[in-house]
Amino acid sequence: MASTSLSFRPLSCWTSLLRKSPSPLQKTIVSSRALTTYYKPKPIDAPFVPKKKIKAFPPPSSFRAHCKEPIQAVVTSQIALLDPTGDRTTLFSKANPEAAHVGDILLVRLKNGDPFAGVCINIRRRGVDSGILLRNELTRVGVEMWFKIYSPNVEGIEVVQRREKRARRARLTYMRKPKHDMGSVQNIVLAYQRSRGALRGAAAGGAVGHENKGGKRKVKAKGKR
Amino acid sequence: MIQLKSMLNCIDNSGAAIVECAKVMKMHRGAKIGDRIIVVVQKQRNFGPESGPGASVSTSAANKVRRGDIRHAVVVRTKKKLQRPDGSVVKFDDNACVLINKTGEPIGTRLNGVVGTELRKMKWSKILSLAPMHL
Repeated sequence: MASTSLSFRPLSCWTSLLRKSPSPLQKTIVSSRALTTYYKPKPIDAPFVPKKKIKAFPPPSSFRAHCKEPIQAVVTSQIALLDPTGDRTTLFSKANPEAAHVGDILLVRLKNGDPFAGVCINIRRRGVDSGILLRNELTRVGVEMWFKIYSPNVEGIEVVQRREKRARRARLTYMRKPKHDMGSVQNIVLAYQRSRGALRGAAAGGAVGHENKGGKRKVKAKGKR
Repeated sequence: MIQLKSMLNCIDNSGAAIVECAKVMKMHRGAKIGDRIIVVVQKQRNFGPESGPGASVSTSAANKVRRGDIRHAVVVRTKKKLQRPDGSVVKFDDNACVLINKTGEPIGTRLNGVVGTELRKMKWSKILSLAPMHL
């Protein structure tokens, strides 16, 4: 490579010479960049030069300031969407003295399929994810089902029978044991449904809407207490 | 969660009362409702009228399976909670199965006991139609 460049460029012979003797100007610059810590202070009477102002942008508006508790906001909006009348919320709210409690026999009417009834042995309060655990005996086999109380598949929840005495536990899991098992509650539920049907027949509300009926039932169930 | 050595109730009238799981088919985890398993018949069912002096003859005639038989079965109830796509959960108090032959037809002609609705999803509609109740 070098030989070829030599042959092509006649002036290239100068490059090596120039490299050997660098220019005096360059030399001085190099010497001025010595590794020294010498600091030359500015003269006192130096003219004051105002610093260039840097434009400061304001921080983006905080979401926290805009919405204090976003999760709670989502939960309330979802509950408002799924339970517009507020029936479910009141049925399981702790403030309501006539609310459904653990130990009551509840009937869950589903949009698709048969209703399921059973003793409520657990209420899991988690906002819009709240659920109830019902236990019953079908064809002599114990069955437990969890239902989400705000589920769109759940058409209505009714109190069939209340426990005589308030349960002193929050979760009645002991009711799984043979000693405490209530067995089948199907008879109680059937009797309840029959009486309710008779009441509805007496009222002769033939053209009453379905939701309206549900509301009536609930009122009657509460009135029994 | 049915796995090797799990004991299940057999709820059909094939003649088996209690069976033991020998293999969960096409899976490497516990069988759920609707899954196919291989079972060994451990206990035969004694039907009411036949329990007399000539019981042994008549039970063997009535029973389509005998103790020690290896059969295929479908799980229809589990103690393990099973969550549905809508968020509801179902749990039974026992583990139960129904015996089938290798082509998937049930061996018994009637079932006694509730079964899980998951059988429909798993294409066991024949068992579902035999059952008195499904949940």
